[in-house]
Amino acid sequence: MDVIVCVKKVPDTAEADVSVGAGGREINKERLTFAINEWDNYAVEEAIRLKEEDEGTVTVVTVGGKDKEDILRRSLAMGADKAIRLDMEDPEDSFVLANVLYTLIKDQKFDLVLFGAQSGDFNSGVTGVMVARMLGISHAAMVNGIEVLDGRTKTSRELEGGLNEIYEIKLPALFTIQTGINEPRYVSISGIRKARKKELKVMTPADVGVTEVKPMLSLEKMYLPPPGKIAEIIGGSPEEAAAKLASLLKEKGAF
Amino acid sequence: MMEVEEGNFDEAYDVYACMQCGKCTGSCAVSLRSDLNIRELMRIAILNENGELEKHEEIWDCTSCGICTVRCPRDLKPAEVIVGMRSSLVEGGTIPITVRDALESVGTNNNPWGRPKSKRAEWLEDLDVKVKNISEGEDAEYLLYIGCTASYDPRIQSVSRAAINVLTKLGVDFGILGEEEPCCGSEPRMMGETGLFEMLVEDNLNLFDEFSISKIITLSPHAYNTFVNDYPECAKRLKEDDAEIPDIELEVKHYTQILEELIDDGRLDGEMMNEFSETVIYHDPCYLGKRNNIFEPPRKILNIIPGARCIEFDRREDRSLCCEGGGGRMWAEGTGTGERNSIIRVNDANRDEATVIAVACPFCLSTLEDARATAGYEETMRVMDIFEILDEVLK
Repeated sequence: MDVIVCVKKVPDTAEADVSVGAGGREINKERLTFAINEWDNYAVEEAIRLKEEDEGTVTVVTVGGKDKEDILRRSLAMGADKAIRLDMEDPEDSFVLANVLYTLIKDQKFDLVLFGAQSGDFNSGVTGVMVARMLGISHAAMVNGIEVLDGRTKTSRELEGGLNEIYEIKLPALFTIQTGINEPRYVSISGIRKARKKELKVMTPADVGVTEVKPMLSLEKMYLPPPGKIAEIIGGSPEEAAAKLASLLKEKGAF
Repeated sequence: MMEVEEGNFDEAYDVYACMQCGKCTGSCAVSLRSDLNIRELMRIAILNENGELEKHEEIWDCTSCGICTVRCPRDLKPAEVIVGMRSSLVEGGTIPITVRDALESVGTNNNPWGRPKSKRAEWLEDLDVKVKNISEGEDAEYLLYIGCTASYDPRIQSVSRAAINVLTKLGVDFGILGEEEPCCGSEPRMMGETGLFEMLVEDNLNLFDEFSISKIITLSPHAYNTFVNDYPECAKRLKEDDAEIPDIELEVKHYTQILEELIDDGRLDGEMMNEFSETVIYHDPCYLGKRNNIFEPPRKILNIIPGARCIEFDRREDRSLCCEGGGGRMWAEGTGTGERNSIIRVNDANRDEATVIAVACPFCLSTLEDARATAGYEETMRVMDIFEILDEVLK
């Protein structure tokens, strides 16, 4: 099974103080640290596990400048066989990015394409699905289990309310991977050094034949949500506070 | 042959000299409550049964206290054999998730706590005194190396602030690196991430060189130990591999050694302090005591505090009971069941009627604080770093 995994480098914003830049269209990035998108890391691990179970290759792909190569090196150290960096600015618009990735992937040999279900920066969760549509292949989003059958997969998707649904899907196909599908292995620093020998191909948009498409969305303004006005801090002793809280909950119809 | 970063086990650790006497297992701080059996692991190393290592989850129970190495009659280093075994697991990628996350965080955030680099200096915010920041070009005789835990853990941050207050009062010329301060690498090394440790040694020595830092005071015995005992050897090895390592000689001291010097120079004495009417029992940290034979300085400091009644644990100095905070154990719960060593320790202190357990290590402070609360001594006992005690008593 030949698998292509699309990966992206994103800022870690879980705990960092995020502020909007002067232009009002992007966040200030200077003090943030960047790493492989969490969902993508699970997708790379899943691809490598599929390869380890069966024959095949794993190719990781990213779009961006040379500073994005560390996530490819890391994926190669995990066990991917080759990496491709498309040397152009990450378009950020999902539709434009999907078009770029589609143009690159359509000429590659693959049975399966994996994406992270979403990316930790914009969290749109649509790029992978758009690429599947452009490639004209089956897809499943939020995938939390893959079993390979003959020319097909048994694929589990995570639904709302704790439900799973299972499909048999004919290959080639594209899945967007949910975190928790596996437990990604640790990649050691010496492992990354050793993986320097593996192929990392840099391609230009012209090499791939990327055509310009218009973004479907345009970003007007970015701002932090204004603080709400309806929060109430209940003071007093624990007994008083509990009594007040209970009466408030009753009043609002919680019981 | 079992592959480790430095070569094979027999060459790296001389394991064939092991006569299986069992002194290591008999001394081990966790063998009573864990399956960790260092004699068995030495045997595995001798026989090169390396395929079996994944099954030995208890390899992650070792606190790296070093007592097995101290007591080995053949002068072997069983504690290092465990590091080597962890290293081979790290290279294979299959390690406890919490250890994995800690190591990944060192790679991206330069600390194992998963906290952003940009918040490393937040503990400074409540401080009244002005501190020199060497990374902003200010000159100072000493770098006060805070370390990851004392930078981020809310309980331990109080030690960092106390250190600033005390050293400033005593007129020590020091500065910090603020947000630019890196992880020292001690915990990654003990968790077996040799490549990451080497990278940190190279980066950190270049950083110290860039800011002309040659004298360092550490809060943590773990940072002290790695700067003094691991850095020179690692730097030498890296130089042989043509890495760009500056020729600097670091003079590193644990803070209790600096305070001892101040006492000897007449710059710190009981006259400068208010009464501290407490029964104080000192807990020797493994990395200061067992690993570096520094027993006297902390005791000397506590003994000059007026009003303090200093008592000792039965198990003290090189027999001190490890708190189980080292060797990556802050990020690995361990397989052990039964009473934690830290609980045994606070119970011992309570039996001896101590009102303050004095410590000189952030991990000891963290584990003993937890144990104090768990064992129900919140009203009767405090766990304090020596810097915190001085901050409280200095006039």
